[in-house]
Amino acid sequence: MQGKWINRLLLMPATAWFLVMLVLPLVVVAIFSFGERGAAGGYVPAFTLDQYLNLPARFTAFKNTLLLAPAGTLAALLIAYPLAYFLAVRASPKWKTILLVMVIVPFWTSILIRTYAWIFILGGRGIPTLLEFIGIEGVRLINTPFAVLVGIVYGYLPLMVFPIYVSLEKLDKRLLEASADLGSPPLRTFRQVTLPLSIPGIATGCMLVFILLMGEFLIPALLGGGKVFFIGNALVDLFLQSRNWAYGSAVAATLVIIMLVTVTLYMKLVARVGEQREDVSIL
Amino acid sequence: MRLYAIAVYLFLYAPIGIIILFSFNAGRHASDFRGFSVKWYGKALDNPFVMDALTTSLTVAFTTAVLASLMGTMAALALQRVQGRLRALYDGVIYIAIMIPGIVIGIATLIALVTAFNFLNPLLASAWPGGKPPRLNMGYASLIGAHTMFTMALVIVIVRTRIAGMDRTLIEASTDLYATPWRTFRQVTLPQIFPAILAGFLLSFTFSFDDFIIAFFVAGSESTLPIYVFSSIRRGVTPEINAIGTMVLGVSLSLLVAAQFLLRMKARQARAAG
Amino acid sequence: MPKDYKDNMPISRRKFIEELRRYEKGSVSRRHFLGVTGLGFATAVMAGAVPGLRPRKAYSAGELGDRVVLATWPNYHDEANFSAFTKATGVNVQVNVFGSNEEMLAKLQAGGSGWDVFVPTNYTITTYVGEKLIEPLDLKMIPNYAADAFEPRFADAGTVGGTVYAVPKNWGTTGYVVNTKHTKGKKLTTWKEFWDITKTDFSGRTMVHDYQLTTIGNALKYFGYSFNSVDPKELADAEKLLLEVKPHLFAINSDYQPPLRNGDAWMSMCWTGDGKQLNTDMPEMEYVIGKEGGEIWSDFYAVPKRAEHRAAGYALINFLLDPAVNARETLAHGYPVADSRTNKLLPKELLEDPILYPAQELLDTLEFGAAATLTDPNRAELLARFKSA
Repeated sequence: MQGKWINRLLLMPATAWFLVMLVLPLVVVAIFSFGERGAAGGYVPAFTLDQYLNLPARFTAFKNTLLLAPAGTLAALLIAYPLAYFLAVRASPKWKTILLVMVIVPFWTSILIRTYAWIFILGGRGIPTLLEFIGIEGVRLINTPFAVLVGIVYGYLPLMVFPIYVSLEKLDKRLLEASADLGSPPLRTFRQVTLPLSIPGIATGCMLVFILLMGEFLIPALLGGGKVFFIGNALVDLFLQSRNWAYGSAVAATLVIIMLVTVTLYMKLVARVGEQREDVSIL
Repeated sequence: MRLYAIAVYLFLYAPIGIIILFSFNAGRHASDFRGFSVKWYGKALDNPFVMDALTTSLTVAFTTAVLASLMGTMAALALQRVQGRLRALYDGVIYIAIMIPGIVIGIATLIALVTAFNFLNPLLASAWPGGKPPRLNMGYASLIGAHTMFTMALVIVIVRTRIAGMDRTLIEASTDLYATPWRTFRQVTLPQIFPAILAGFLLSFTFSFDDFIIAFFVAGSESTLPIYVFSSIRRGVTPEINAIGTMVLGVSLSLLVAAQFLLRMKARQARAAG
Repeated sequence: MPKDYKDNMPISRRKFIEELRRYEKGSVSRRHFLGVTGLGFATAVMAGAVPGLRPRKAYSAGELGDRVVLATWPNYHDEANFSAFTKATGVNVQVNVFGSNEEMLAKLQAGGSGWDVFVPTNYTITTYVGEKLIEPLDLKMIPNYAADAFEPRFADAGTVGGTVYAVPKNWGTTGYVVNTKHTKGKKLTTWKEFWDITKTDFSGRTMVHDYQLTTIGNALKYFGYSFNSVDPKELADAEKLLLEVKPHLFAINSDYQPPLRNGDAWMSMCWTGDGKQLNTDMPEMEYVIGKEGGEIWSDFYAVPKRAEHRAAGYALINFLLDPAVNARETLAHGYPVADSRTNKLLPKELLEDPILYPAQELLDTLEFGAAATLTDPNRAELLARFKSA
């Protein structure tokens, strides 16, 4: 009986915190999403479905997010995987730690500053000027979806490399040798041995990157020139420009629901693919 | 393969190189190199707003990390013994906390607290016994509150995973030997879960220190380092921003090297002693 | 444009900065520095404002504190003036830049902006007063503001119901700047041409503001409607045009100088001072006021309620309104002032500059923004739809 009391006591602070800082705000968002915009902005109590009926006005932002978030995740995966493989399997043990650390180090300068550096690299005096030297003219990179994609891959690469590295690291290299000794071509070895083993890492990495991308605001804002709009940018605008708290709440609530559905489906899918593996988790 | 790795590292470090290069720019505009100078480092260090923002960021990140790892560990310990509906409810809350985009956390916290404060402030003013009543406002508390909420969920997950993988026979042995629960906890459980708590602490600190989007909404009149950088970028970047970035990078790198060095020393001592 | 007009000033900008450097290094005395730069006048006025206190000591620790936060617009100040203010008072100035009045309003409405002074535009002030977001100014703390020195049509909006809530900073126009290197000799004069060329020769090279008033207003001008229209049918026309043009834009951003300077963008909606700054450094940059009309505006200094460094905020406003300081501001940013005392200190060339002072027949077509435009939910939503499209 004493244990039960201790348990309650231990849970109390976290529970209170979640109630005030998570449940309450989400309830407020839910309530506001049925309200109306005040005359000078803000929120006026009401009960209307207008805000939800108006959601198609942000269709493109939702579409961009739902296209570019998976695309960015995939691009990050495609670039991260070979690197993780190299680090886990090919790199000499002497260099391994240093090379691994070097993947995180860029993370220690603010994402803002790093993204700003890309404005310079992709801007007129950066890569396009270099391309002109070799005769390719009129290339425009900055303020395009491509620039946003580059920013995304750059910003989230380490989050992808690490989980994959961890799962590949566990891979017994003798398995690979055995497979090669048995005359299996490298590609087949990869498909039948390496890839299945790295699925938990891929699943974790993709999940992390995808979740962060769904709420992305900075990268499109800085590299998209206000033209490539994610739902995060639409939200910032609704609260910091048009001051429409009611509609903003409806958009935010919709985003949360979309995320709940996609992430839950994704987890189910991953669980099925990895059937017997229990080490697939969101972290 | 190796070429590929080199290419990826180039990709990772090109922007860093540019940041560092331009931090030594003598000119005023970040993207227009006008000779070598370290004056922007002096300017950044002399700028009270940079120092304010840095202090705020460090204070918030440290408080967040302490609160999140403390409360998160407590909750994780309790949750291992909770089953049934309460457990499912808690799992749901943690799942939602981790999955919700930062931008939604920021916005939701902002509108909820601003609404609550607009309601509470007049009450407070009328009930205040003489003198100037305090005003509730967005600031340190709301920022720490929001950061702690999110990072606490992370800590719970990390610590719980560790507890799940813990060797239970030791605890049973300890109980069999009539150790008090507290003593069992201190001498058996804590040492085993400590690495997870430490990881949670560091993760919380890093997250809070680097977060922009939540702080952007809930920091009120406080300015964290990312917020300062964001508003400076809009003002046209001077090399001061690059200097700040380079310094933050330099400090974290030296901390890392120092930690490595200490660890090696310890290992050597241990070997010598053993 | 004679290059050396700045040298007709009591002191040129470059000279001022040189003197400041020398002073910083300690190679000139403070009195020499203040004397040469004309700051002496400024500080003397300030000292006079605070009875019994002398400059420097007047603002020793505790008096004004050591910081003040200013929310303003891009490229709108002379950095050297801020340094001079810090030197004179010990107060450091943090400048936060915003690209629209909506953004400023949103920040204040959400509480705790942290600003001590900010720069709203004429048509927004009644809303700030109505929402109780700004305080009536304590004019005793701004002795450099002499109401009768200001042209009423640029100062009146600061007074609401007989109370002064804001004092004038600068006025100007909203036109566009175009890089004539790319126009093939064609001279652009209208908003219609602005939008049409964006869809053709300038595709991918044009910028518009991230600001509903000007972006929607100048799209309305394409059809000859009022810049301030809130008529649903007219707004629908403007929206159609904006959506059609969007794929051809380089960016939607109110800080347009960097891409124009590095050649990424060729044309942008533009305020007077940015036009002047660009034209001074790159003569091929031409500032155009659309023949159909557009915006004329006046910006103000105002103090948010419960400003944390209120006294320092007032000191900053007062400093910036000092005619000598104000003149240097104008020399640096190229926006005209409505203050006759300041204009007396400015070189003739600048007072006749067609960018700052457009021809009367162009000015006559321009409109001031209207309060209803700021709060109209349809306009706000239209811009948001345009951006997220």
